[in-house]
Amino acid sequence: MAGLGQTLGRAATWPLTLAARAVDPPLRAWQRRTGTGGMAAVFLAPNLLIFSVFVLVPLVLNFAYSMTGGTGILLGQRPFVGAEQYARLLECQDYTRPITCREDQFWTAVGNTAQFVIFQVSLMVVVSLITALILNRDIRGRSFFRAVFFFPVLLSPVVVGLIWRWILQRQGLLNLIMVKLGLEPEVWLNDRVYAFAATIGVSTWAHMGFYTLILLAGLQAIPRDLYEAAEMDATPPGRVFWRITLPLLGPNLAVVLVLALIRGVQIFDEAYVLTGGGPGTSTLYLTQYIYESGFASLLREPGLAAAASILMGAVLVVLTLIQLWLSRRAEGRKAR
Amino acid sequence: MGRIVLDGITKSFGATQVIHGIDLEIEEGELAVFVGPSGCGKSTLLRLIAGLDRPTSGRIEINGRDVTRASAADRGLAMVFQSYALYPHMTVRQNLSFGLENTRMPKPEIAERIDEAGRMLEIGELMERRPTQLSGGQRQRVAIGRAIVRNPTAFLLDEPLSNLDAELRGTMRAELARLHARLATTMVYVTHDQVEAMTLADKIVVLRGGRIEQVDTPLGLYNRPQNLFVAGFIGAPNMNFFRVRATGGQAELPGGLSLAVPGEGEVTVGIRPQGLHLATGDGPALEVVIRLVEALGAETVVHADAADGTPVVTVLSGQPSLAAGQPIRLAFDADAVHFFGADGMRLEA
Amino acid sequence: MTRIGEFLFRRRGHGGRWHWTDIATWTWLILGTVLMFGPALWLVGSSFKGPAQLAEFPPTILPYVQEVTEVEGYDKPLPLYTATLEDGTTRTLAEIRRIGTNSQMVDPANPGEKINVNIANRSPLREIGLATGNYVEPLVANNFVLFLWNSVFVTTMATLITLLTNSMAAFALSKYRFRGRDAVMLLIVATLMVPLSVILVPLYSVVNATGLLNSLWGVILPTVATPTGVFLLRQYMLTIPDELLEAARMDHASEWQIYWRIVLPLAAPALAVLAIFSVVWRWNDFLWPLIVLSKRELYTLQVGLNTYAGELNVQWHYILAMTVVTMIPVVIVFVFLQRFITTGIAGAGIK
Repeated sequence: MAGLGQTLGRAATWPLTLAARAVDPPLRAWQRRTGTGGMAAVFLAPNLLIFSVFVLVPLVLNFAYSMTGGTGILLGQRPFVGAEQYARLLECQDYTRPITCREDQFWTAVGNTAQFVIFQVSLMVVVSLITALILNRDIRGRSFFRAVFFFPVLLSPVVVGLIWRWILQRQGLLNLIMVKLGLEPEVWLNDRVYAFAATIGVSTWAHMGFYTLILLAGLQAIPRDLYEAAEMDATPPGRVFWRITLPLLGPNLAVVLVLALIRGVQIFDEAYVLTGGGPGTSTLYLTQYIYESGFASLLREPGLAAAASILMGAVLVVLTLIQLWLSRRAEGRKAR
Repeated sequence: MGRIVLDGITKSFGATQVIHGIDLEIEEGELAVFVGPSGCGKSTLLRLIAGLDRPTSGRIEINGRDVTRASAADRGLAMVFQSYALYPHMTVRQNLSFGLENTRMPKPEIAERIDEAGRMLEIGELMERRPTQLSGGQRQRVAIGRAIVRNPTAFLLDEPLSNLDAELRGTMRAELARLHARLATTMVYVTHDQVEAMTLADKIVVLRGGRIEQVDTPLGLYNRPQNLFVAGFIGAPNMNFFRVRATGGQAELPGGLSLAVPGEGEVTVGIRPQGLHLATGDGPALEVVIRLVEALGAETVVHADAADGTPVVTVLSGQPSLAAGQPIRLAFDADAVHFFGADGMRLEA
Repeated sequence: MTRIGEFLFRRRGHGGRWHWTDIATWTWLILGTVLMFGPALWLVGSSFKGPAQLAEFPPTILPYVQEVTEVEGYDKPLPLYTATLEDGTTRTLAEIRRIGTNSQMVDPANPGEKINVNIANRSPLREIGLATGNYVEPLVANNFVLFLWNSVFVTTMATLITLLTNSMAAFALSKYRFRGRDAVMLLIVATLMVPLSVILVPLYSVVNATGLLNSLWGVILPTVATPTGVFLLRQYMLTIPDELLEAARMDHASEWQIYWRIVLPLAAPALAVLAIFSVVWRWNDFLWPLIVLSKRELYTLQVGLNTYAGELNVQWHYILAMTVVTMIPVVIVFVFLQRFITTGIAGAGIK
């Protein structure tokens, strides 16, 4: 069997092997000219090229776009308007009421995203911490349950959105349960509050397995003898949790918190498929606003979308810097 | 085939210079051993010869060809690494053939060479195994085999036995010596173990701090160390040193024993532990007090202190009945004594 | 049963007594299992129900299909119903046609006699069965085979290119010393902060300018230079001893051969992790394909699904079935490789 597998594997990679052989002579010639060190450039080139074209150049262009107006997509056709787009986004008569803003949709999206992040991240941290603590116990079938909670992480956002749309619809599973419990069925996604709660619940459902794994890794890194020492001291379990587990899990918890924040701010796919931003604008989040103002609406405004995305990017950069700082501090603590 | 000449080699890593101007000739068919304490530059020097690193200045010649700028592959050398560096994802046979395939050698010839190396090193049975399935000694043989099949101008061996246990190290040492005798190819061998150096080498190069201290045959080094460092480094246990003041060709060892010295002023007198023996009769002798007795059976190592506190070690044959605290008198032959001047260099008697 | 229960719930090291924390633990785990797998199972079950059954409330747990029977004198098989007749008896009848609130029925045993029944007085006779048409029809008639192929193409090509370019870059960054290496590393770290959603507009114009709009390559290329992949591989390659590379150099291997024949095979575990991640990422990609692809024949499964689900007349029986198809590769990855992935995440903290 192993022999057959090996033969099949070799047959499958045969074209690649041939290609690799074909590029060897020219690269050998190049190596002769530039020396061993010159080969580093060859190995870096493809990645850096793709990277520059599709990440670095757009990054720079984004600023250019954010300072132009009109509906054209080619930069040459777009008039320079300076900070006009930012002014449009940020102009408000009363910042507590999005409706008074020039771009009321943007402020609605900002407000929705902020609320979403607050609720979703809190829920995420609590739920994944509890799950991690439970999976860290000495239970039968631990790896099975670890896999169970990880399963939705792999599902595509579109699938996640559709699964839950199907469950939350008028004749869906949730209403079946409601009826069985003797409660009134609801059209969940037509209700502003329920729809908002659904995006929070569904995104938590879909991603909690990932955060659980990070926390579980942190829990398992806590030396066992600390707990044994605490047991010798007759420390009550609550105290063990607050004084040993939580402080030692601190760095992982911080990483989970910031990662969840970063991803929460960018919420789009599953919420978009689930509710499409509705009902009304009650689940309109920032990325959907950028997508729609830049591409999907009839009167598309790439400049406005670029400006909004730069504002969102600024928030993400701050969050990422916090994360890098935290993980470096965590590493420093480990080194000590 | 296989004459290596180093000419004014220096090597710096950033601001730190690790090799300070090495001139050396290794003759064809010779087994030269680089020996010295860790950090002396012996491995760096080997890597410079191999072409894995480039010297900062100086020239390297192999068989009269300047290879200073040539790549590792173009020097016709083969190397055995300290960790063996066997490719873990290849079988033994693939490990041996990899380098030959790279030179586009015809398949039948590759097979022939591998068979021959397999016979020579007795690894024919292991050809289809992977390195992780081999014992330390077997890996060592495969690493040597990988060098042999290449039929190189010279073998470079970087501490090849340091990962083996003591018993295996002894066997492999003997095998390497036999192999060298059979192949008659130049070998450059790096080690920090002076027993390996002494038993294997045609020529030993003692290095310290990136400089050559002495180049000589093993017995030449033992019998005529050129300076205090070599005297102290070669031979076990270490040579006993007595710092004395010489006036008029005479000096006194601690305890008052008088000695003819080929120098004036600060002189260090060196006597190997094996050169000292228990004095018989009342003649002039070195008087010491025993601190520790290590009875090894065939011989007894005695640690003692001279009158001024200088430690003295002696290796006595057999099992003399001695005990700590006991004073003894030691004698030595005149030709067992080495003299070194204030600059640490040998003074000829 | 009690034996199995004993085995499942036996707690190590504590003897037999149940603490409240054990009850809480198992409640959480069992509820969690139901909540994590339940929705997907419900989806799979629903995907085998016909349109009529999907519109029913309350929904049934298992999929049923209506029983049909051949009746003499009729070309097509007729659906079977349990009908309550005016005289109060119930009989199993086959429906010929429906007119308004009336159903014209026939007794299969007696094809000559036609009976009129009010539709309120009949209920369909059903057996457990799978409405496989949900799968066959959209695949054949509604382009879904094309979407499937597009998704497979994007996933395969993107993963191959990701593995190649990322491993080459990681090799250079882990095994060579050259000026600017730290600058390149810093650049890569910095772009971890730039998610796709931040550069949508300019990236669209770059893809437009390079002529990749409405091309699957426009979906593939922007995703392959992942900093995460370079990182993961570089960390792994740092653990490959340099002596192996030097031995290969002494063995006349060119630098390309060292990469291809020594470093790549030895980095296989890390490559496998990256390959799994890349497959899942690219298969699940939604926003970027949604923007780049505006021609229906180029849609990937995710975009196609969303488009069908967004239509006015949502054909749930097709959508559910196609959602299941979309899930299949990921479920396969989950079943066979989840251990790989979970250890990968725990080790490198990537997603």
